[in-house]
Amino acid sequence: MSIQPTPGPPPYQEPDDARRPETPEEPPGGSPQRETQSGPPSLRPARPRWRETLSLLAHNPTAAIASLVLLFIVIVAVFDDTFASEGANDISVDERLQSPSWAHPFGTDDLGRDILSRVILGASVSLKVGFFAVGFALVAGTLIGLLAGYYGKWVDDVLMRFMDMLFAFPAVLLAIAVLAVRGPGSGNTALAIGIVYTPIFARVTRASVLGVREEVYVRASRSVGASDWRLLTRHILPNAAPPIIVQTSISLAFAVLAEAALSFLGLGTQPPNPSWGLMLAEGRGYIELAWWLAFFPGMAIFLTVLCFNLLGDGLRDALDPRQRTLMAGGGK
Amino acid sequence: MFGLVHLVPGDPVRLALGTRFSQETYDALRERSGLDQPLVEQFFTWFGRALTGDLGVSFRSGETVTSQIAERLPATLTLAFASILVALLIAIPLGTVSALRPRSLVDRVATVISQFGISVPDFWMGIVLILVFAGTLGWLPSGGYVPISEDPGAWLQRLLMPALVTGVVSGSVITRFVRSSMLEALGSDHVRTAQAKGLGTRQVFTWHVLRNALLPLVTVTGVQLAYLLSGVVVVEIVFSWPGLGQLALQAVEARDYPVLQGAILLFAVVFLVINLIVDLLYTAIDPRIRR
Repeated sequence: MSIQPTPGPPPYQEPDDARRPETPEEPPGGSPQRETQSGPPSLRPARPRWRETLSLLAHNPTAAIASLVLLFIVIVAVFDDTFASEGANDISVDERLQSPSWAHPFGTDDLGRDILSRVILGASVSLKVGFFAVGFALVAGTLIGLLAGYYGKWVDDVLMRFMDMLFAFPAVLLAIAVLAVRGPGSGNTALAIGIVYTPIFARVTRASVLGVREEVYVRASRSVGASDWRLLTRHILPNAAPPIIVQTSISLAFAVLAEAALSFLGLGTQPPNPSWGLMLAEGRGYIELAWWLAFFPGMAIFLTVLCFNLLGDGLRDALDPRQRTLMAGGGK
Repeated sequence: MFGLVHLVPGDPVRLALGTRFSQETYDALRERSGLDQPLVEQFFTWFGRALTGDLGVSFRSGETVTSQIAERLPATLTLAFASILVALLIAIPLGTVSALRPRSLVDRVATVISQFGISVPDFWMGIVLILVFAGTLGWLPSGGYVPISEDPGAWLQRLLMPALVTGVVSGSVITRFVRSSMLEALGSDHVRTAQAKGLGTRQVFTWHVLRNALLPLVTVTGVQLAYLLSGVVVVEIVFSWPGLGQLALQAVEARDYPVLQGAILLFAVVFLVINLIVDLLYTAIDPRIRR
């Protein structure tokens, strides 16, 4: 692309500064329309031990808190039936548009449904869509990136040009187009978001694979006759994994946001099932009459997305090889 | 892209005619729109016309696609440039301050703000703003668009909230870039050399740090601008902003192929033009790229 100023070592910063060496390729905010690569693919040290990563993560207060909150949200979403009061989709006209109270901590909506219960049920919908979408993008994108990076030549050209084509599409429109083809609904929303994020995973993986492909241990293994499959699964993928892991966490944040946006437009989850985006859309009409209708689902989206983002940042710090040497070398 | 657009199921002719129509009108309209031709033929007809600036006629309204897009363009351009302005006004000071004082209180506050901007759903923020400024305080209208030529005051009033929402989101992304590229520039050898030869702080900053930090800033601003120009669909819906995103969404819903194709073609062109401008700016900023 262009000549970048050579980074050089950070000589005069206090040692503290380098603790968060943010790579310039941060993930986009509302826009997934960008080239995303994490960390320099060269200089990748031996296989990162997950225990070490976990302990580094635990020492990062923000990431630790984010993980705990996420764990809480996931537990609530998994046991949504237990936490939500029964009949969250039942209409009760007597109780419509009640402001937050002890009986209904988040108030009730225009049909008298308890908003807290619906936010809890919405958590399970949002997370399911998020996990399926990112799962799809992760598997498809990583596979494409692995093949493109490892085999190079025309395989690389064909696969990556196709990814570029998808990438050039405005993300929301691509998702809307997929939903228009497949019809609305949670499953199709997951698929649509998954397709939108596949190119990002393919790029991150490919860049990472290119970095480790010619490492000595890979060549050594090849020279003793290891098969392509063995090389890919035992040597290349594990060593190319850190940026992919970081990307996963960040993509989860965007997937939850995207699900909310699509449901808000009426293309995602369909009523009467609660989804945070759908609840926001329904509450929008009552915003001046009853603010709690739109406020609480929005808070839920915000909190979930924030935690995935913070976790992603924490993971980046923990998995960044420069960071590791620094910490091992006696830094705080 | 053409193929994807036509994959969208549903019969546009049926949708355009409503429920009661005779077979003759159906066939006539189908023939007039060229939908009875094979898909490949349809593509080449469309492509040939597009080259001469004719993007066809909307199935739904009967207007030409070019006029429909032209009608929406001012609103989209206004919002996109206002948002980028807001974004840069947030990102440059915030990113600079936090890079100059890393790990300080200011830096932490800046990080929290940008983290907020990246994580907040833009449409929710829009709704909350409407609630506060249009509902409770009653200072601003809740949405709509008035051309600046008609009433500059009303134009500004209606622009403020949507521009703030999209500006905060884009600004948060840009802030992180400004911070990291400035940190990198601050730590580089040439800055140390400049300091060693006794240049003042201000001089070092303007000529050595700022210039080097500018390249990534230009790139990310370009990407954000392209994104804003391709229509921030959801925010446009929240603020009833008659932009291109709304047009594209309506086109998907009505299976209005010509409009959808026109909009997507425009987005692709915008993307290319912005990339070109970014590349030209590179050469202006970094003399090493000039050959």
